[in-house]
Amino acid sequence: MSQSLRPYLTAVRYSLEAALTLTNFSSQEVERHNRPEIEVPNTSAELLLQPMHIARSETEQVLIEPSVNSVRISLMVKQADEIEQILVHKFTIFLEQRAEAFHILRRVPIKGYSISFLITNKHTESMKTGKLVDFIIEFMEEVDKEISEMKLFLNARARFVANEYLGEFVY
Amino acid sequence: MLHLQPSNLLIQKTFSEALEANGSGSPLTFDRIISDFDYTNFHVSNDPENRDLLLLSVRTKAWQSILTCDNGSQGVLPYLAAKYTKLPGITVAGSAEAGFDYTLCIDLSQLTSETIVQLSLLKTNIMSYPFFLAFQEFATLSTKNPTTTTVTVGRFNEETGNVSSIDVSSTLYTIQYRDNENMFIKPSNDRITVIFETFFQDETDKVFGKVFLQEFVDARKRNRDIQSAPQVIFSTEPPLELQNHLPKGNEVGDEASKRFITFVLFPRHFANEELQFKTVSQLILFRNYFHYHIKCSKAYMHSRMRYRVDTFVKVLNRAKVDEDEDESGGSNYETKRTITGRKMVY
Repeated sequence: MSQSLRPYLTAVRYSLEAALTLTNFSSQEVERHNRPEIEVPNTSAELLLQPMHIARSETEQVLIEPSVNSVRISLMVKQADEIEQILVHKFTIFLEQRAEAFHILRRVPIKGYSISFLITNKHTESMKTGKLVDFIIEFMEEVDKEISEMKLFLNARARFVANEYLGEFVY
Repeated sequence: MLHLQPSNLLIQKTFSEALEANGSGSPLTFDRIISDFDYTNFHVSNDPENRDLLLLSVRTKAWQSILTCDNGSQGVLPYLAAKYTKLPGITVAGSAEAGFDYTLCIDLSQLTSETIVQLSLLKTNIMSYPFFLAFQEFATLSTKNPTTTTVTVGRFNEETGNVSSIDVSSTLYTIQYRDNENMFIKPSNDRITVIFETFFQDETDKVFGKVFLQEFVDARKRNRDIQSAPQVIFSTEPPLELQNHLPKGNEVGDEASKRFITFVLFPRHFANEELQFKTVSQLILFRNYFHYHIKCSKAYMHSRMRYRVDTFVKVLNRAKVDEDEDESGGSNYETKRTITGRKMVY
């Protein structure tokens, strides 16, 4: 892990731990509704907390938006060039299509970010908060690794394929 | 499977089957459509009158352009006839089957395995005709002007129809082998230039294609073992050879995503007939090979992402509070179980 990644992830971890203090909270506006306050247009300012924005670089940022009963975490994954853009896009789409299995994954990322998670009090009640934070951190690490590995693989394959094709012309 | 084969495996199988059945005295009835790359279809059927005769018809997108590539003299017909009639048991049908471009009659009683191989190469042989012409033209050009250390670009003189420089042939053989993609062959006295025009429908393919094409260009520089392979040049602009020949005024959107890949063949790549065949069959499959590997890498990435999703789900599931654990701590009602060990639900 590179030198600057460690403090970045540590910052995200502590911010998440601070944000993940959720309680059950029924809607103040609609009777018998219990909805994630961060996701609905909200007139009561006391339900939303200060969003936290952690940036490692222009292309790697995390936005944590806490509220009384839900936290939305949006990741921006590093995309250095065209290939990485496509790979990140493919990968996030792939994950989002399987959002059922992920429970906390949001099907659509919020604007400007690659992927978003939504953790509600239901999740923190049925899962261990510490492990949820671990998951987010591990996800951040793995996604970067995966993208760069796929890119390397693509280049390696292209090189091999070209070599083999042109090798056929050598007599 | 790394390389694509120039021969069609299904044709080989079909004819081997036919040969075997015929040998054992129970000839089979055939009516098979076999597909190949680039909108090529084959049709294998029995002759309606004589059951010992099989008909092999081919229809390919490139046929029209190959038929007319030698100024309309249809030289491809005698070229193919010469290739096939020397094999035992093969005659060229007088007229092609309806809906197809070219038909061969095969006498099962004289069929050999060598002939079957040649039959499966039918598409390659058809496509190789313009290359054959280019090789011939190269031979005449190089005897006319054998020493060339500097290359001057020949220019086709439109008014007189003469070539103002003797170095480069004025003819450009075009094979329209797909809807929007063509192959161009330009002979000159020290080399033959083969240009592929290709375009990508898919955005992802475009980016992946760029990576692959760049590697084709760099492979020769990087690897000493393949120094003698043809030089590959990649450009988004039509190369000089094509600029006078490309039709003007195509749709803009199409033009913008066109890519040109140039292969420069030197005499060592087509010194004798065997090399010519190898070179041509490789080149004809270039587009297929290249697109095939783009698709393969996409498929690989897909399976990789699938695996990755599984590992992520596993990590997430670690966070779940275990139900059993939850019950054993805290709560004081005991779970009732059935005799098979299932939990009772009230």
